[in-house]
Amino acid sequence: MRRVIHVLGAFWRLNVAEELQYRANFVASVLGTLFSMATALLTLSLFFHHTTNLGGWDYWEIVVLLGVFNALTGVIEAVLRPGIGQLAGEVRSGELDLVLVKPVDAQGFVSFRRLDLWRLSDVVLGLALAGYALTRLGRIPSVAQLAAFALALAAAAVVVYAIWVVLMSLAFWFVSVENIAVLFDAVYEGARYPVSAYPGALRFLFVYLIPIAWTTTIPASALTGRLRPEIALAAALVAGLAFALARALWRAALKRYSGASG
Amino acid sequence: MPSIVTAERLSKTFQVKVRDPGLRGAVRALFRPRYRDVHAVRDVTFRIEPGEIVAFLGPNGAGKTTTLKMLAGLLYPTSGRVEVARFVPWTGGPPFKRHIALVLGNRQQLVWDLPPEETFLLNRAIYDIPEADYRERLAELVALLELGDVLTKPVRQLSLGERMKCELVASLLHRPPLLFLDEPTLGLDVTAQDAIRRFLIEYRERHGATVLLTSHYMQDVTALASRVLMINRGRLLYDGALEVLVARIARTKRIELVFGGGDGNRVTAEALAAFGEVKTFRFPNAVLEVRREEAPATSARILAAFPVADLSIEDPPIEEVIRLAFARGVEEGE
Amino acid sequence: MITRYAALIRNAWLVDLQYRASIVLWLLWGVTEPAIALGIWWAIAGDGSVAGYARDDFARYFFAVMLINQLTIAWDSWYLDRWIREGDLNYRLARPLHPAHEAVAENIAYKARTASVILVVWLLVAAAWPAVRLPFDPGRWAITAVAVLLAAAMRFFISFTTGLLAFWTTRATAIMELHAGVSLFLAGRIAPLALLPPAVASVAGVLWFRSMLAFPVDLLTGAVHGPDAVLRGLGGQIAWLGVWIVAYRIAWTRGIRKYGAVGG
Repeated sequence: MRRVIHVLGAFWRLNVAEELQYRANFVASVLGTLFSMATALLTLSLFFHHTTNLGGWDYWEIVVLLGVFNALTGVIEAVLRPGIGQLAGEVRSGELDLVLVKPVDAQGFVSFRRLDLWRLSDVVLGLALAGYALTRLGRIPSVAQLAAFALALAAAAVVVYAIWVVLMSLAFWFVSVENIAVLFDAVYEGARYPVSAYPGALRFLFVYLIPIAWTTTIPASALTGRLRPEIALAAALVAGLAFALARALWRAALKRYSGASG
Repeated sequence: MPSIVTAERLSKTFQVKVRDPGLRGAVRALFRPRYRDVHAVRDVTFRIEPGEIVAFLGPNGAGKTTTLKMLAGLLYPTSGRVEVARFVPWTGGPPFKRHIALVLGNRQQLVWDLPPEETFLLNRAIYDIPEADYRERLAELVALLELGDVLTKPVRQLSLGERMKCELVASLLHRPPLLFLDEPTLGLDVTAQDAIRRFLIEYRERHGATVLLTSHYMQDVTALASRVLMINRGRLLYDGALEVLVARIARTKRIELVFGGGDGNRVTAEALAAFGEVKTFRFPNAVLEVRREEAPATSARILAAFPVADLSIEDPPIEEVIRLAFARGVEEGE
Repeated sequence: MITRYAALIRNAWLVDLQYRASIVLWLLWGVTEPAIALGIWWAIAGDGSVAGYARDDFARYFFAVMLINQLTIAWDSWYLDRWIREGDLNYRLARPLHPAHEAVAENIAYKARTASVILVVWLLVAAAWPAVRLPFDPGRWAITAVAVLLAAAMRFFISFTTGLLAFWTTRATAIMELHAGVSLFLAGRIAPLALLPPAVASVAGVLWFRSMLAFPVDLLTGAVHGPDAVLRGLGGQIAWLGVWIVAYRIAWTRGIRKYGAVGG
């Protein structure tokens, strides 16, 4: 375990040195995030131009959720996408073998090998937005609520990670898929709104088939005081389960790959 | 008969932004950019007759590729005149482009995910090649390059050498009178390099095409070109037959040795120095410089005197030939 | 020229065939965005209506958006940006064929594949769900086809021109994304223009955004009717197409000139 951290640390140091060279990228990245946040807020304003609540949530409550969405997106962009994004190409070109011979756990390595440091600013911006929305609501979360939020957010991050591991594993079967990430992005758009906002069929899709909307709804509910504490614990359990399942799928995929490429 | 390529006092100067390091420098560069001139090509004059194979030789950054791009019409000259096949390349447009083929060593026009055949069919349409001509030319090129069944495999599955050969086929289907090749043998293994050189000679023989290639491999020049234009730092240093240049400039040859195992004591730098000038000695490797005419004889003597595992006779590196040429002030056009 | 286009389109079609899995994913993206928007508006509309749009109207609107967006979308700015930065423009410029033709052919091949899928999906959904059905009206459909063609052409020129900015900046794709972000509202991707604050909607109408998507969509769903409105809409499309063609020509001439100065 210490070894893994050591190796990752070496990679990250190299990464950060590279990234510090590209300060313009940082500015561009922050501007990009601000722009997409502004777009999301404008979209929300447009909806609320014609209604007073979505699924029982009022405007600022949904803004809290938007902040959580951005924070999670920041984690994905900073930590997951850079490393996993390369995977499909590496499988195609055979470079993956170079990764697999390294004496570290392949899943951990592929997932976390690259840090897009500047994208962590998304996390900061997202949490800031959520915080601001809470003040507009006049609701300051209690310590218990914050704890529940932290737990729920961590659980959400794990679920998102598990989904990415599943997508990573798919790269072994669908070798021609260049943009697995596009699949995730398309579906993750559904997490911008609370689960209750969707009508029947869509809710079924986002809640039961692809439980993506929960990753933002639950942590946001914790912050706004809508969450029953047991739900947070259930979320943690689901996260653990998702992780275990994802890892099992990854190992199966890896086994098949190693067998096939000889 | 008029020359097919004429370059008169051709020059190309790039303006490169100068940026001070650090954040303040970056901001200053944004508002008040400063520029510095890079003279990639300076005052180059030459003529090429139809049917010649000419090599532009020079180290990296010498200006070879820039010159070639000006001849192909991708860049326009800062000053001077250039005429190719009676067109001014930069303004030649589609009629001019039908007269040339451009092959860049590091980028390819072959469509990556499809078999080369598909790119050939595409070029047939782009260059409006009649069906019969297309079939005939394709067959000839495939035979000359010994491509066989490679044509049906996706380009991404081909080796570098196979890809380069297919690249040549794609470029020659419209049988242009002029061929511009930028580093065509770059990165290829010896067999592939050889095959391509032989092909170019054969092709020129059959169709009288004029071939201009840039290279920093001496072997490209010795095998292919009767005439070499040596370019360094934008200037044309030499224009003429290669043997003349080498004979005049590179009076020496290098003998590269790898000594076998066994009696390591017998081989010392001093012992070796008796045979010629020892350039490098790190057992078991050594490089010896001797006079050109003496190289074969000296090699024989060394083989007799020492346990040699490997021996090769090389020209001095091109950089050194050029350095020598520059140092000895070889004039343009000689 | 026809043979060249046939060859270019065939080439692009074959390449797309290799990437069909990826294309499916992009298609999914093209579907989820309107689907989510529809979901939210559906919930908001409830049993009543919003600015004249009841649930069924929203359903028809967003299915039309799905189809017409797929038919008019252009992404050449990304291609051009890459060609210019990676030196892939050189061999294209040495050929007796303007690189734009390759981009157009690629566009056509892609759309032929994806739009047909969406059309089939719409037909299937319409079989089960009356709300998304359109009245049979070949006249209207013909005029819509013209509007779609105009919109597709204009969006192509917008995209290509923005891509040409790569001759001058490394942020050409960012500009395109900015445009995409703005057109989310002004072109009607997130909501029918009638639902926007009137000032904003009029900006969309005055500029080229309505011509991009909202107008052809409204034509198809019948929200635009009467020869006056139709002619004004088509006129606007033609005018803005002209503007963007001019913009493209300027960018191309200047850009090639710059390329010839500094190379790629």
